[in-house]
Amino acid sequence: MVADSRAAGAARPARLNEPRAALVEECFDGSPGRVNRQPVAAIREEWRVLDRWWTEEPVSRRYFEVVLESGENVVVFRDRERGGWFSQRGA
Amino acid sequence: MIACILAPGFELQVALHDRPRLALRAAALAPLPGTEPLLGPVTAAAEAAGVHAGMRLGEALATCPTLVLVERDAVQVHTEWEQMLVRLEDSGFAVEPVEPGCLYFDTRGVERLYGGVAGALKRALASVGAPWTVCAGAADRRFASLAAAAIARPGQALVVDDERTRDFLAPLPLTLLPLEDDRREDLDRLGVRKIGQLAGLPGSAVAERLGPDGRRAWSLARAEDDTKVTARPPATGIAERLEFPEAVANELTLRRALTVLLDRILARPERGGREIRKVALTARLVGGGSWRRTLTLREPSAERGGLRAALGPKLAELPAPALTLGIELLTLAESEGHQLALVRPEGEELETRLRDGLRQVRASAGAGAVSTVVEVAPWSRIPEQRALLVPRD
Repeated sequence: MVADSRAAGAARPARLNEPRAALVEECFDGSPGRVNRQPVAAIREEWRVLDRWWTEEPVSRRYFEVVLESGENVVVFRDRERGGWFSQRGA
Repeated sequence: MIACILAPGFELQVALHDRPRLALRAAALAPLPGTEPLLGPVTAAAEAAGVHAGMRLGEALATCPTLVLVERDAVQVHTEWEQMLVRLEDSGFAVEPVEPGCLYFDTRGVERLYGGVAGALKRALASVGAPWTVCAGAADRRFASLAAAAIARPGQALVVDDERTRDFLAPLPLTLLPLEDDRREDLDRLGVRKIGQLAGLPGSAVAERLGPDGRRAWSLARAEDDTKVTARPPATGIAERLEFPEAVANELTLRRALTVLLDRILARPERGGREIRKVALTARLVGGGSWRRTLTLREPSAERGGLRAALGPKLAELPAPALTLGIELLTLAESEGHQLALVRPEGEELETRLRDGLRQVRASAGAGAVSTVVEVAPWSRIPEQRALLVPRD
């Protein structure tokens, strides 16, 4: 009996907390002003991650933990290597 | 006998109820957002202009540029349908609703009350009420009663004689049978266009060519289905609704509103301590539309936390900000309590139950539905490199 290759392909391990593309409007200082069309009420924390610079896939991100006007807590980052904004859990 | 009441295009009838002028123009029910752009039921004027139900939206608008698209009102459809069912139940009919616009009931219990099958059907049509266009049919088989109702004129009741069911079905088109379009096209290519022609074919050949669905359609065509009518349990009529001062899209606020609604509905004395088996969430959306989701709980429950966990994810499916949020208890469990275990399961028994639960999740959600979180680099500063989701298949 031959195993179903599609089924095997569908059940591969996946990364947890993969970044998701986010719609962010930047302020003049590069911090997020609106996230997914919702205004940012406060920036709780900001940090940078520079890693894997010795490899061909370096990581350079500027993270922001923000509180939206709806009260939602979101972590977004700007990826300096790929360009664009992403949201991420578990950060 | 089994009777069928059919309200063709019931969703469109409800949508046009407040706009009767549109019923005389070319109008159709708009496709649901996020689904394939196929038209719902259409008016007679639209049909005359070449538009039919199930047509692609673009094609329909090209065929009839003046076509008016009417939005579905899921909550209103459910309300009107429920009222229709209650009116029929008040007249003594134990109804089995299939979907809004189609129901069955057994005439045996009411034949003497209303002077025969024809009298019962006449009474049922009168109970449905004037604004709705409905047809009725009765036969000794369920499918035959549906076919009779489907070809009856609005307001008319068609009774099929017990011994002539097959003769009645024979000249009817195959579109009445629950067959997929490609199966019907296969039959059309073979020159089989009437129910009688399909009934005349050998069953084994039909099963081989068309599979189990074809075999079932064949047995329906031969009037061999013996599915009985199962009347629904009486509706509870327990519902709660919350109106927001302004439209709400924020999930957090909606979840809080859900908690308030659950508190209120669980405190209703009509529930009598019984647990909830089936529940519906409804919302009226900004812009005039409405939204409704039903959920059957795997085990009846009256725990606020469990109900909140089961219903909460449904709120994320709201397509637009909500002006009102409501909850309805559709079915309650008969019993009031749970059979508690004398000894808590542990060890091998607990593992067996867990395995069984996981097997059920896999069976309902498919391969890859059950996964384990495996930490691969918990020290990493890059969040997505810390752990993997590994399927347990």
